[in-house]
Amino acid sequence: MLQTDRVILSQLYSQRVNGLREDKLKINEFKRKEIGHQDFDDWGFVHYPDFKFEARPNHPSGLVYGYVAIGEHLRRFFNEIPKYINKNSALAGAWIGPLQNFVRMGIIPEDQPSDLKEVWAKYNTFPGFGGMNHCAGDIEIGLKLGWGGLLDKIRHFREFNSPADTSFYDGEELVVLGMQEWTGALALEAERMAQEESDPDTRKNLLEIAEINQWLVNNPPRTLREACQFIAHFQTLDRTYFAGGAMDQLDEVLRPYYEKDMEAGILTDEQAVWYVASLFFNDTHYSQIAGLTPDGSRDMTSRMSFIILDAMHYLRIPANIALRVHDDVNPQLLRRSLEYMLEDGTGVSYSCNIGCEQGYAKNGYPLQLARMRAKVGCNWTAIPGREYPLQDVTRCNLGFAFHYAMEDIRCGEPSLEALFERFCHHTKIIVDSIKSGYDRHYEVIGRNTPELVYNLFMHGPVERGLNCSEGGVDILNFNIDGVGMATVADSFAAIEQRVVKEGRITWQELFDVLDKNYEGAENIRLMLKNISRLGCPGSEAQKWADRIRNHYVWCCKHEGTPKYNLPIIPGMFSHGNIGELGAKLPATPNGRKAGEAISHSNEPDPGFAAGIDSFSPSLKANAVAALQPGYGNSSPLHLDIDTDMLGKAGGIDALISLIHTHNQMGGTLINLNCLTGKKLLEAHEDPSRHPDLVVRVTGYSAFFASLSKEYRQQVVDRFLSSRK
Amino acid sequence: MNSKGNIFNIQHFSIYDGPGVRTTVFFKGCNLRCKWCHNPESISPKNQIEFYSDRCIGCGACFKACPNGVHVLDDKQMHMINRAKCIGCLACADVCFANAITAVGKYVDADYVFASIMEDYLYYSNSKGGVTFSGGECMLQIEFLYEILKRCREKGIHTAVDTAGNVPWSSFERILPLTDLFLYDIKAADPALHKLLTGAENVRILNNLERLSASGKQILVRIPFVPECNDGQIPGIAGILKSLNISRVEVMPYHKLGDNKYTALGMDNELKAVEVPTEAMMDRAVEILVSEGLNAVKT
Repeated sequence: MLQTDRVILSQLYSQRVNGLREDKLKINEFKRKEIGHQDFDDWGFVHYPDFKFEARPNHPSGLVYGYVAIGEHLRRFFNEIPKYINKNSALAGAWIGPLQNFVRMGIIPEDQPSDLKEVWAKYNTFPGFGGMNHCAGDIEIGLKLGWGGLLDKIRHFREFNSPADTSFYDGEELVVLGMQEWTGALALEAERMAQEESDPDTRKNLLEIAEINQWLVNNPPRTLREACQFIAHFQTLDRTYFAGGAMDQLDEVLRPYYEKDMEAGILTDEQAVWYVASLFFNDTHYSQIAGLTPDGSRDMTSRMSFIILDAMHYLRIPANIALRVHDDVNPQLLRRSLEYMLEDGTGVSYSCNIGCEQGYAKNGYPLQLARMRAKVGCNWTAIPGREYPLQDVTRCNLGFAFHYAMEDIRCGEPSLEALFERFCHHTKIIVDSIKSGYDRHYEVIGRNTPELVYNLFMHGPVERGLNCSEGGVDILNFNIDGVGMATVADSFAAIEQRVVKEGRITWQELFDVLDKNYEGAENIRLMLKNISRLGCPGSEAQKWADRIRNHYVWCCKHEGTPKYNLPIIPGMFSHGNIGELGAKLPATPNGRKAGEAISHSNEPDPGFAAGIDSFSPSLKANAVAALQPGYGNSSPLHLDIDTDMLGKAGGIDALISLIHTHNQMGGTLINLNCLTGKKLLEAHEDPSRHPDLVVRVTGYSAFFASLSKEYRQQVVDRFLSSRK
Repeated sequence: MNSKGNIFNIQHFSIYDGPGVRTTVFFKGCNLRCKWCHNPESISPKNQIEFYSDRCIGCGACFKACPNGVHVLDDKQMHMINRAKCIGCLACADVCFANAITAVGKYVDADYVFASIMEDYLYYSNSKGGVTFSGGECMLQIEFLYEILKRCREKGIHTAVDTAGNVPWSSFERILPLTDLFLYDIKAADPALHKLLTGAENVRILNNLERLSASGKQILVRIPFVPECNDGQIPGIAGILKSLNISRVEVMPYHKLGDNKYTALGMDNELKAVEVPTEAMMDRAVEILVSEGLNAVKT
């Protein structure tokens, strides 16, 4: 019988977890003042403004590149950075910012795809070339071997394979040596701090940290706490190198340690909560809990899944845990996650098994493999340790495809079908250019910026001596994300309604007002904006969105990359980049002015509901589910729920229904915030009033106060439109 | 058959109008005039316009579109609406793209409403929810209601009818086989006070409730609790309900969320000065109902 009750913390552990949160808020405030706003996950780095590090470029351009040079820099970096240990934590270490803040690493000029850059600039496209991380390691490889075992493995296969060029192994060796030295240094630092510590509980904790880290220099972890410490070191390394953030199926990874420790009588649930909270304090890596086993016979929910939720709840700082939803997911786990959501305002995200798994299987992979694809990125999934699925590094800007289509038709006899034909033409140009960039990426990424960290935690790279992007792992695919669906679909629908059907303005008048950025034509702008927009039941915009999605998916899927026929999987995800993606885009016929943000992913715009159908979360969810690209890569749904509305009886049941329904309709990911309008608006006005307010921005959660005003506005707009 | 009806709102993902997640369809037109009505746009059976002056961009399109000279400027050059002349043609709302003038009410056919209902079909099955027909008084458009209820029944969708009960019993008979739950509003026990507060006596309402109770249909009674109006009526209502077959009683606190709608519709709000009830007042009301053996809660 699965134990599902909430863990109640005693005074000691409550103080420690609360202390971590308070320290986090102080660290955060310091970062905000020193660095300014950051529109990403609230990474767990500790800022040391005076830290200096010498870069030793190995290319005339001033770049550091290649296995050995980067490996040497990583090793030296970990030897030189401050040895941070928080006395309230069960674990040692923190990263201090990405290595590229101190060292220019990247792809050398002669390997750059200069022939493609013009196209990417023209369409304001994020090409994905040179993208790093966005794959996931199988952390169990590290947990079984430890740093010592990983070093032995590297040395064994270097000798066994005897490659002509040993730089792959030499670089990986340098990374592992650096981590061993880092771990050993933390042990010494903990011991030093213990000697100076007067509080007996804290001294004991520091001595335990010292002992654990001393063991982990060469040996694999034996206990839950040691496993968490090893994972924390992995997080620190992973974030340092190009800000990697993918973890694993965390409940299943930790479950054997938890069960073994409990059986041995050396662990209590509250200690487990503290260890996991300390891990979340260390960093906000992305992990999944629950979901089906590969054979689909069992839900993976365990006691560890509940403990992970408790740790998030007690810590109440950003954490990036996803709960994989399926029809038979443990109902108590789902309910608990929502209870915490309503209490804390934020919590887990919900990864949907039908859209993710059945969609992925449509690429030709077995469904059993698809079930192993865990949500380990802000919007994306990967099979830990077995797949290189480069995701979330591209943005195919549909807004620009539409803009150039409008330019194409203005000289002839404009028509909607001509416009759509040209839109398809330009969309294909963008997608094809990204594909060509991926061919180049595939050729050069390993010799420039290899996946030095993930290679260690994957099945194949060390065994074969190959970077995971080029044969190190067996499963290789590349993602392209479309963005700005509503901007384009609403533009088509506005033209159809106002120009073609109603004849309220002519095509020429439309071109004129767009050229003038609607100056002196506010009423025309509002006329074009106030149509039945994407998200309204039965809207023309919905029909256009279907056509756009179908064409976009076809562009991605009908053939692989031109040179190597690498498989492409389409997604639709904008992260928070909608401001940047719209900044150079001229005015569009959906009433959007030049430079304004474009629409998120495939979501209806805020305020889409009009007429007799008023806004509801289900209308938005239905539109997002209906417009999924359909091959397993995510197109997330963002919902900001007013706690005043759902905090009453029946609210959680309604959310459970919403989550299951979105899953059954083929959605892939749900990001929820449960907020009160009062608190959100106060924090927007003056972020310092609510420094502890945590929100889910897109796929990731962050302190609201740390976000730039533009990103805060995105969250506020979404929330306000949901209350109309 | 695809008859038409006047609807002013379809609210998806509604969780307070019956069990589970529901779609609530609001019918326009009511034959009561409750002083506290928070949906004043639901009262008239005809199309109306709401005017939100803060959104007006001064384009003048409404002046040109109106066939009756409803839109005028006062002596301070402020946009005024002469509602006495308005025929509800909505021509002004049709050209007001700033949404300063919005249409209230739309004649739609049953196909339209049912398609909107079906958007959330899976939500109903996942939450044991369904569809609620509200208003206004949805039973005043009984054939339109009947047609949509019939389609819901064919799809196995749970149905609830939210009514004040001031309609002929024959209307209930028409929809009885197609309705799973009645949300039945009771506003006052005393007939004279009821007339004062709502403009109509409650004899027919209470008779219908009695007959509905005898039919065995599930009934959830809802009591709007309005200080200075019906707050003294709870014992009397409890006395009526205790002998009936009522599954649950919900006491709903008066709120002021509809205040700005009165302004937008150019209507007087008689209860503008009345405060919302305190929690203690609500608790006391529930206590009285519970003491009579009723399953009562506040919402």
